[in-house]
Amino acid sequence: MVKTVLGKLLLGLLLVVLVFVGFSTALAQDEGSAVTVSAENLPQAIADAKPGDAIEVTGGIFTGHLDIDKPVTLIGIDWPVIDGENNGTVVNLTAPGITMRGFIIRNSGQVLDQENSGIAIQAADITIENNRFENTLFGVYAKNGHNAVIRNNVITSKDLDLPRRGDPIRIWYSQDVLIEGNEITKGRDVVLWYSERVTVRDNEVSDGRYGLHFMYCDDATIEYNTLLDNSVGAFFMYSRRVTVQHNTIAGNRGPSGYGVGMKDMDDAIIRENIFLDNRVGVHLDTSPREVDSFGRYDGNVFAYNDIGVGMMPSVRRNEFSNNSFVDNEEQVAVGGGGQLKGNIWSVNGQGNYWSDYAGYDADDDGTGDLVYKSDRLFENLMQREPSLRLFLYSPATNAIDFSAKAFPIVRPQPKVEDEFPLMTPQIPTEAPQMPQATGETWFIFAVVFTAMALALVLLPRLTRKRYIFPQPETQA
Amino acid sequence: MLDFENILVLTQKELYDARRNRWFMLYAVAFTGLALGLAYMALSGAGNYGLAGFGRTSASLINLVLLIVPLMGLTLGALSLAGEREKGTLMYLMAQPISQAELLLGKFVGLSLALIAALGIGFGLTAFAIALNGGSAEIDTYLILMGFAVVLAVASLSLGFLISAAVQRGSTAIGLALFLWLLLVFFGDLGLMGTALVLQLDVQQLFLAALVNPLQLFKIAAISGIRSNLEVLGPAGVYAFRTYGSALLPLLLGLLLLWVIIPLLLATYLFKKRGVL
Repeated sequence: MVKTVLGKLLLGLLLVVLVFVGFSTALAQDEGSAVTVSAENLPQAIADAKPGDAIEVTGGIFTGHLDIDKPVTLIGIDWPVIDGENNGTVVNLTAPGITMRGFIIRNSGQVLDQENSGIAIQAADITIENNRFENTLFGVYAKNGHNAVIRNNVITSKDLDLPRRGDPIRIWYSQDVLIEGNEITKGRDVVLWYSERVTVRDNEVSDGRYGLHFMYCDDATIEYNTLLDNSVGAFFMYSRRVTVQHNTIAGNRGPSGYGVGMKDMDDAIIRENIFLDNRVGVHLDTSPREVDSFGRYDGNVFAYNDIGVGMMPSVRRNEFSNNSFVDNEEQVAVGGGGQLKGNIWSVNGQGNYWSDYAGYDADDDGTGDLVYKSDRLFENLMQREPSLRLFLYSPATNAIDFSAKAFPIVRPQPKVEDEFPLMTPQIPTEAPQMPQATGETWFIFAVVFTAMALALVLLPRLTRKRYIFPQPETQA
Repeated sequence: MLDFENILVLTQKELYDARRNRWFMLYAVAFTGLALGLAYMALSGAGNYGLAGFGRTSASLINLVLLIVPLMGLTLGALSLAGEREKGTLMYLMAQPISQAELLLGKFVGLSLALIAALGIGFGLTAFAIALNGGSAEIDTYLILMGFAVVLAVASLSLGFLISAAVQRGSTAIGLALFLWLLLVFFGDLGLMGTALVLQLDVQQLFLAALVNPLQLFKIAAISGIRSNLEVLGPAGVYAFRTYGSALLPLLLGLLLLWVIIPLLLATYLFKKRGVL
């Protein structure tokens, strides 16, 4: 009896001691020693630092290249500058656990095949946060940088022709990376290759070539991003189980011009995104690839694109439900013609909204009573002869469609049949809002032009007494 | 020689007459109403997504301009000389000490200004609608669209004058104008599409053939002004943009201006030859 009580007491004491020791060592590690230096003295400060130290850098400009090979935390205050003098990579991070926060990284070299970067990550657990990248060819380049966090940075490339710029962010063989809240503009591609479980959230990527470019990236999550005015919004290739949700993807109109392009993608889920004013909203090529896999498109808006969803003729096993197809020049297009028979356009009695649906909803259940068929004759002709696209917007195209309605003998086979078309569009609420313009200049224009036009009509009335032909000189 | 004071007086008379011309008023009201309606529909849909859907508005406006503006220009032009000739007022006008060229030019300038005023009211009020819906950053593309619409209006007016100078009766002139309108708006494009399908025209041939039609000139110019490239028009558009690049817009504008000048010169020639009867 006594023995057991004593035993418990001893055990309790041991636990208390262990916890205390644990705490104190943790505290000791956390504190480290915080040094405060100016940017010019950074290399010395890093050389002097012990692993786990924090170095506060208060302003200043460090010119040259920085190699950090121990786990330290660099905190920039008043935007200290690291300037690579237009030569090579500016900052090399070669030890795991480094954090860099609040720096301006500028002037890398511009040799593309050496991948001159602002920051090169070559180890795991590195955090790059709140930095600005100016005139760097590549921004952040992570190779084998597992668990990297790249957050709230502002990244541009050099002012070069598009193909000669570098990638604002490149993730290469790096698992579990988080890319969040970055503002990326005028780069080439944000590249994520051979990296699993990447999360890309809340970023804005604009005026680049490929907004996001994924290859061999299984289990990636892409959400709440704005992909604006790139050549291609996001291109996904050879990956499985990718989730793309709540993104706004607009104005991507380059040579490929896809909002989202899918090539050999299995089990992808594309949910509640807004695809706006792209050349092609979503482009599908051999996706899904494997027999037992699927592609799921639910609750997206495809509005004002030249083509809402474009598919290659052999694409099948995709499910479309609750999407809204609003005024795309072509709602669904098939490259080279065909019928898209193997795809499902309604799931469990939930179809999609089609702005060109001409049916009715007599029983008032929100679902149209007639099947929606996409069978415009002019679209069919365009697929046979793509150069006829030259006549887009021409009233003659409406005449052709009208004739196909009047004379069913020339009506083509429908590309898409939706048995449960929705009567009202469904708008995703969580995707980022597009920037709003103000109407002021429009008001000025409207007032000026209406006034000028009215003046043109009224002026002759006011000057009517001039309405006499001058007398010929011979009579004078 | 042309006396510009005479032309100015005739221009004023024509502008004054335009206000009493029921056709002109009908077209002006119809164009304004339809443009407003289209802008409202395009924008109220777009408003749901928190964006200015002006790309869509301009696309529908292109369609509207293609349909109505040639109709306005052709019929007003066709009625101008032939109508007065039929009423006998043309003889009275020509009894004044003015030359035939002065009369024709005065009428042409006056009606052109009237058309510009009609388009100005239409585009101006539509801009109000766009402004009320939160506007859009793309006002320059709207101005480009309007500018080309004005040139198209003047070009079709010039064609109308050609018809008017050539025929005697107002009804014949209107009939011819409507036929020409159908030809330009529908049959020309339909024929070219059929030809392209049957003869397998390559993109260069197709593009050059399309340029014969002033409506296509307007459409391609308006789109390249709005989009800053022609990818929307498929392979032929890409071909045109790659081949002509930044020279494309001046080229299209130049061709469109030829459609203004040549029919007008021909009309002057015919009018001089035919006289007031």
